[in-house]
Amino acid sequence: MDSGPGDETLLAAVAERDMAAFRTLYDRHAGWLAIRLTRRCNDRDLVADAIGDTFVAVWQKPQGFRGEGDIAAWLWGIAIRRLVSRLRTRGSAAAVFEKAEAAPAAEDQVLLSVEYGDIGQALARLSPEMRAVIQAVVLDGLSAREAAQLLHVPVSSVKTRLYRAKAHLRAALAEGSS
Amino acid sequence: MTGWHLDDDTLRRYVDRADSLAEGASAEQHLLSCEPCRTRVNAAASVIELSVIDLAAVWDRTRDSIEVPRPLVFERLLRGAGLPAHEARLVAVASAFRGVWLAGVAAVLAFAALAAALGHTRGLWLFLAVAPVVPCLVVASSYDPRMDPALEPELVTPYPALRLILLRTIAVLALALPAVLLLGLVIPTEAPLAWLLPAVGFVTVVLAASTWISPLHAAIAVSLAWLGVVWLLAARSGSPQAVLQARVQAGFLALAAASFVIFLVRRRRLHQLRPWRWRW
Repeated sequence: MDSGPGDETLLAAVAERDMAAFRTLYDRHAGWLAIRLTRRCNDRDLVADAIGDTFVAVWQKPQGFRGEGDIAAWLWGIAIRRLVSRLRTRGSAAAVFEKAEAAPAAEDQVLLSVEYGDIGQALARLSPEMRAVIQAVVLDGLSAREAAQLLHVPVSSVKTRLYRAKAHLRAALAEGSS
Repeated sequence: MTGWHLDDDTLRRYVDRADSLAEGASAEQHLLSCEPCRTRVNAAASVIELSVIDLAAVWDRTRDSIEVPRPLVFERLLRGAGLPAHEARLVAVASAFRGVWLAGVAAVLAFAALAAALGHTRGLWLFLAVAPVVPCLVVASSYDPRMDPALEPELVTPYPALRLILLRTIAVLALALPAVLLLGLVIPTEAPLAWLLPAVGFVTVVLAASTWISPLHAAIAVSLAWLGVVWLLAARSGSPQAVLQARVQAGFLALAAASFVIFLVRRRRLHQLRPWRWRW
């Protein structure tokens, strides 16, 4: 499955201004980055711009990767922040919430509880706003400020929602275990 | 990098965004460290690409923006002087800054200065004939759409044409004047500065005239007229010092002031800067 040079090799080549290596890196990562970013922001143009910005940043500063962890994770860290800054400079609110989730089918529900147990159920019961905050802060590792910019809400709302979401989860898990 | 991979159903739900937060988060965490699964997501994404994002277009834009050459030294200098980046670019793209062009100007000036250094009076006449018209020719050609393909889009963009033209003129002069001045210093008379006011006068005449005709036409007309005057003065065996007389210099100053007023009054016509054409 893994053909050709690894990402580290490619990135080193990019540092040597190798356009072909850069193209390979782009082809390898732009797709899943696009998928993941569109889960954070519904505005396709904005996501496209953020991906462009990300790879321009990679081209300009490939040495930004310090060899810790996966290059994919490094790229994601750049991409999500580029998306946030695009959202900020645009000013107008982009629809950011994940699309209204269809209620999971019964077998999916079972699958979930098998695979993720109580935590999955507990998360599913959170309101979309709280899930968005959890996703931004806990899963994407954004700061409260960045999350606020991503979600177009005040920083204080991010903090209170995060606090409430944690309380919800704690309560839900305590309830499930008892 | 474990033996565990996303199963096809999970992957499809992830790409279709039909999964739950927990499942999605788990998938994303796995994707960060699993090259094969990323490849599968990319493949799945390319199938539904039309509804997602045109990655080929994003690539083209990305490549274009990284292939933009580094700002010229001159542009960086302008930015250092406090000009906003986009204005520095507008000013600096004038073809007058291209090395070849400057070299040509320098060659002409060197020729004139050399002539002046060799034969005293005749050389001085030559210098006086050439040096004052160089700045206005340089300025004019920096506005000619044929020499500067960037100019046309600039003039139709919603940007104050007056500001652009003045900024550029000042920038062009800032480059052209020191060159002329330096070579003028080679000439061993009080003439070195004699060309300065005529030069300023001619530049403003060209700016004013460019609200009617092509700047290059204007510059050529001005140059020919000046050559005629110099030739006339020389033929009547007047001394080159005639140009240095206070009232002649004051005349050039008045010319500059009058032209500038005309230029300001008619500045709305600048949007239609006429390109060079063989018919008038």
